[in-house]
Amino acid sequence: MSFFTIIIRGLWRRPVRTGLTLLGIAIGIAAVVALVGISRGFEKSWGAGAKQRGIDVVVSTLNSGLTPKPFSTTVRDRVAAIPDVGATCSVFVDLTSVESASMIMVSAREWGGFSWGNLKLVAGRMPKDAMEPAVVLGQSAAESLKKKIGDPLQLESKELTVVGIVDGGALVENGSVVLSLPLFQEITGNQGRINILDVRAAHEMNEAEMRKLCDRINSAVPEAKAAIASEHISNSEASRFIRAMSWGTSLLAVLVGVLGVMNTMLMTVFERRQEMCILLAIGWKRGRITRMILWESAVLGLLGGSLGVLIGVFGAKILQRLPAVNGLLEPDLSPQLLAISVAISVVVGVFSGLYPAWRSSRLSPSLALQG
Amino acid sequence: MSASPEPSLPDSAPPGRNGCVYAAAGLTKEYDDGSVKALRGVDFRIDQGEFVAIIGPSGCGKTTLLQMLGALDHPSGGTLNYRASSIPDLPDPAAYRAREIGFIFQAFHLLPTFTALENVQMPMFETEWTATERKDRAVSLLKSVGLEHRLHHFPAKMSGGERQRVAIARSLANGPSVLLADEPTGNLDSQNTEIILELIIRLHQEQHMTLVLVTHDPAIARRAARTIQMKDGRIVADHASISHPALI
Repeated sequence: MSFFTIIIRGLWRRPVRTGLTLLGIAIGIAAVVALVGISRGFEKSWGAGAKQRGIDVVVSTLNSGLTPKPFSTTVRDRVAAIPDVGATCSVFVDLTSVESASMIMVSAREWGGFSWGNLKLVAGRMPKDAMEPAVVLGQSAAESLKKKIGDPLQLESKELTVVGIVDGGALVENGSVVLSLPLFQEITGNQGRINILDVRAAHEMNEAEMRKLCDRINSAVPEAKAAIASEHISNSEASRFIRAMSWGTSLLAVLVGVLGVMNTMLMTVFERRQEMCILLAIGWKRGRITRMILWESAVLGLLGGSLGVLIGVFGAKILQRLPAVNGLLEPDLSPQLLAISVAISVVVGVFSGLYPAWRSSRLSPSLALQG
Repeated sequence: MSASPEPSLPDSAPPGRNGCVYAAAGLTKEYDDGSVKALRGVDFRIDQGEFVAIIGPSGCGKTTLLQMLGALDHPSGGTLNYRASSIPDLPDPAAYRAREIGFIFQAFHLLPTFTALENVQMPMFETEWTATERKDRAVSLLKSVGLEHRLHHFPAKMSGGERQRVAIARSLANGPSVLLADEPTGNLDSQNTEIILELIIRLHQEQHMTLVLVTHDPAIARRAARTIQMKDGRIVADHASISHPALI
């Protein structure tokens, strides 16, 4: 029999209580995995979308909202005139409800701009000209809208026709309704306005050079903000808010888990008071009793964390398939996140065991003779 | 401890055979800020290999005295030495309890979620023995108390006499030189009382262990070589038992 056998036997003596405590921690850790994974996945999919479109710098007003505020198309001319700017493409993106989809990305792109280049036709064709009342749908968008080539698509008051299904190479691209910018501006009354300007550098640049380019753009267009494409979303206030919300919600759930473990371990110390006194009386050091409680808490954390990771991964996958977010979310369930989640759980376990362990260390062995 | 293929029973012969094991002078113990006086100035000496029964009515202080001897509690006053060391000032009371003494309780105090074999191994976690050495020694001890057929039984599946035999085996786990027994037959029927007493006395004699046994039963106290009688926190008599075989 090893010391670890004693730890496991201690947890196993109340299997229902141990099971419920494990479930409590698991739910907290599942929340961490699912929410943080989704928030990271959101940023990652935007980054991947920008990469697919071959964008180096994004100029936008993205701040507190999910989509940037519109600004004048004249920004494009000022940016295009900056040295080291190779190409620009005006874009208007909106997250809006379209027919049966409560939230879907509508991406209106400058007719003939480079941002059309990454779209590979899977079926149908591209719009013939800038004002043809037509859209192409990313594959996920077509699935969630249940549309095929030739179907009508109502965008605000205008009925458009689905003329093509495309593979954009990234989740955000595949989840979008894509149409020409002039058509979208006319439909939404946003003539002369865009909310994103995609910029390609004239030549290969390292990160420092890219930041300098952003600085030059920011000087030229104070009404918008230039950012390296991969950091555009993660640096936005909206993104920071989502991150804070997901960690905040997760930490609340973890706090519930902490209280659950602490309660269980306090009950354990209370119930096994006599046993611990006996162990002290037969020669166990207080430190060994304390370690026993802390190890039990840590094992609870480890098992709860592992279970939580499983539930979290499963939950995130289910969430990803919900019609409301289909094509918009792809959780980033990296091994790093899963390992961090289990580590958090173990730390939570040990932390929750500190007070019960302290209580156990104050027991008097003389109580063994009073039972 | 180095590995031994066949663990032997404790060899408790201490240095200074027949020397003083316990010496108390003016020992007092008070509770509740002095309103309860459990011990009111106790003086005695117990030598190595003695079998001493402490007898007296409930509340006379005999269990309190046993707690002091086992370093389970601190005296309020006076001195209490184990060999040449002051028990209240022991740097590591847990090590003293683990290695020098073995406790036998009235209510057996086995851990219910562990088998007989596992219960006996519990005190050995404070030694350097490996898991195999701990197990071998526990098997050997349980054989010595006649429980080789009950190694893997849980306490709930054992009789009172068997449980107390497991507890006795546990008390011998680390080879103590002193056995402290608190009403060890208090929860047993007359037949098991006799078996357990015989076992404890046999171990005391074979291994020359000092045995301090607390009881309220004069018949049991008479089995000891010496009886210390207590009343109201004081020793009122300390004499050799005339019925002890050594004196007949």
